[in-house]
Amino acid sequence: MNRLWSHPSLVIGLIATLVFVAIGLLSLVWTPYPIEQIDIPRRFLAPSAEHWLGTDNLGRDMASLVMSGAWTSFLVAAIAVAIGVGVGVPLGLAAAAWGGPVEWVVLRLTDFVFAFPAVIVAILITTLVGPGAVNAIVAIGIFNIPVFARVARGGALSIATLDFVAAGRLAGLGNAMIAWRHLLPNIMSLLIVQGTIQMSLGILAEAGLSYIGLGTQPPATSLGLMLRDAQGMFLIHPWLTLVPGLAIVLIVIALNIAGDGLRDAIDPRLRQGNPNVLA
Amino acid sequence: MSLLDVSGLSIRFGNTEVVSDVSFSLQRGERFGIIGESGSGKTLTTLAIAGLLPDDAVVGGTITLDGEPLPRAERAMARLRGERIGMVFQEPMTALNPLMRVNDQIEEAIRLNIAHGAPQTKVGNLLEEVGLERRHGERFPHQLSGGQRQRVMTAMALASRPDLLIADEPTSALDLITQRKVLDLIADICARRQMTLLFISHDLKAVAALCTRVAVMHDGRLVETGDAMSVFSAPKQPYTQRLVAASRFDFPPLEHAPLGGNLLEVDGIVRDYRQSGGLFQRHKPLRAVDAARFAIASGECLALVGPSGCGKTTLAKIIVGLDRATAGEVRLEGRTYHGSDLPKDLRRDISLVFQDPFGSFNPRLNVADSLGEPLRLEPGLTAETVRQRLVESVEAVGLDAGMLERYPHEFSGGQRQRLAIARALVTRPKLVVLDEPVSALDMSVRGEVLALLARLQADFGLTYLIISHDLDMVHAMADRVLVMEAGRIVEEGKPDQLFARPQHRLTRDLVAARLPQVA
Repeated sequence: MNRLWSHPSLVIGLIATLVFVAIGLLSLVWTPYPIEQIDIPRRFLAPSAEHWLGTDNLGRDMASLVMSGAWTSFLVAAIAVAIGVGVGVPLGLAAAAWGGPVEWVVLRLTDFVFAFPAVIVAILITTLVGPGAVNAIVAIGIFNIPVFARVARGGALSIATLDFVAAGRLAGLGNAMIAWRHLLPNIMSLLIVQGTIQMSLGILAEAGLSYIGLGTQPPATSLGLMLRDAQGMFLIHPWLTLVPGLAIVLIVIALNIAGDGLRDAIDPRLRQGNPNVLA
Repeated sequence: MSLLDVSGLSIRFGNTEVVSDVSFSLQRGERFGIIGESGSGKTLTTLAIAGLLPDDAVVGGTITLDGEPLPRAERAMARLRGERIGMVFQEPMTALNPLMRVNDQIEEAIRLNIAHGAPQTKVGNLLEEVGLERRHGERFPHQLSGGQRQRVMTAMALASRPDLLIADEPTSALDLITQRKVLDLIADICARRQMTLLFISHDLKAVAALCTRVAVMHDGRLVETGDAMSVFSAPKQPYTQRLVAASRFDFPPLEHAPLGGNLLEVDGIVRDYRQSGGLFQRHKPLRAVDAARFAIASGECLALVGPSGCGKTTLAKIIVGLDRATAGEVRLEGRTYHGSDLPKDLRRDISLVFQDPFGSFNPRLNVADSLGEPLRLEPGLTAETVRQRLVESVEAVGLDAGMLERYPHEFSGGQRQRLAIARALVTRPKLVVLDEPVSALDMSVRGEVLALLARLQADFGLTYLIISHDLDMVHAMADRVLVMEAGRIVEEGKPDQLFARPQHRLTRDLVAARLPQVA
């Protein structure tokens, strides 16, 4: 644990991320104003004691919208990462442990999915079942699968050449047990770091999908949706665009700093002050 | 005046002092050796001399070259290295740029020094001097053998006509015959150019063969310094005495049971590897093992020796069931298999001890989990029996049962190799295949591990197949020796006879390349 705290960027990134998550969680039980409450006479108010971040074109409280929007962003990105890990990591491990035709199939599958950007997948899903936050989750999740499959396979391949894997095979372990006992625990750090990177990419992707109208639908809100609502008035009321935009930037920076810090803290090759590597 | 003078050198990383109070001096033309085990600080000492220490190292003491202290500035230090100090590193594959032809790499070393006004040399001359032909210059590093790569490294080090050549374990990644050739080459060049040599090694015999004066390092301190002859023949310090004793492998041979019938028969094993060629050209498959045929009697200790790449490890993998033979068969107590189709109930009768004790344990599993893994081959054991078997095998290798809960990184190399042996014994096997069981270990623990293996063989009636290129170790351990070259077994015999009167050309080369015993 001391090791984690010796990386200041990790601490800053993690604390900032946790603050955003806490704000998002808080929005589930309490926001200064209900986000559905439209109050046209009170629109375009500047930040004040009453409305901390002002109000938007429909008179909704911006602070409440940002809180709720941040939660949507986190939720979509986190579930999408979970989908990517849940499907991609087993695929990648299977490719590394079985090799041969299994590996070929997994690699071609990932190539195939990589060929479709998340937007195309989202458009496809929207055409089939209509827009919504769930569609954004599925689209980003599908996009995450090949990423995790590749990372898991790459990490596992370098572990698989080590003698302890051969020792496991000598002990009669099958491919699945080798993957579970020997490969997975040794690539966890890679996966955690990739997870934080995909989280920040997922938040951006959700914002993008909502911005083009394929993600979250009103009256629910997300940071991307807020951007879309505000873009027509950017020249008259730039504040309405700046608030959700800055929120996205801050969340993504926090996640990236946390991810970099985690990599430094976890990766033993980057650990400082270890003279044994030389002697 | 001495060429290099090191006095009171200390190197610290944070709060740990890894080298403390090291002083020695090198006369011009002298060949000086530093002996030490891994972690003794010998490599850090040479890096300090070359000014190549990592940034977070804190260096104390003084190092002077020709009476001048080493410059602090990186640029001046780089110039000094280029002009006066040549270095040859341990691992020639990583020390050469894989994307540059040999000629270009040597050319680069020469060109950098022309800029500094050093006398000009030709690539061709350098190649000839290190015993390579001109056509080797056209190749990439991966197209050369380990010994040839080390020669290229030497040629690059010689490009600036240095006064001082630092060679850090230049032969530890090479096999016996190449090792001898490279050592002879270094000795030859030093004599011809009257160059000063600083030779770093853990191998006493290599140091004894090459150096006139030696220093012994232990735990970051110089333990003993003196003439090579006097240090090796009459070591004064207890640590040096232990090292010298360990390098001789003389432990009393234990009585072991008379040999029984054939336990394992290898019958005409062939292993081909497909080589990937271009789209339209088909390469001939590479034959790693070519019709190997031999038998091991139960209770015997059979050694398989040969240069690296001769197929001995491939053969061992087929025997233990990690690889599959292209043709031929193996019989264990009369039951036939071809490699990876080794029946599950036979797997517990064969186990393997790996060469590298650092890669053979999963860092995320504790010792009990790793050691208990092969017991899955014996279904129906209760948790209590499993525990008992683990304790039994850990104690058999001289370790404490309390260590079972610990993780691999808490153990030293020697202890890990003991644990690897314990894992091999846990299923109570009949045949143990030992792949270079001590070559990754420090000199002082090699003897202990070998003595342990000999005792275990006597205690449990084990049969050993030892894969090695270390003739001294084989001589001490084996009842019978097979010599392998390019996948074929070319000679067979008792070690005493085989090494005294080698018949085959390869065996003669191997015996000739053997370094003389120290003192």
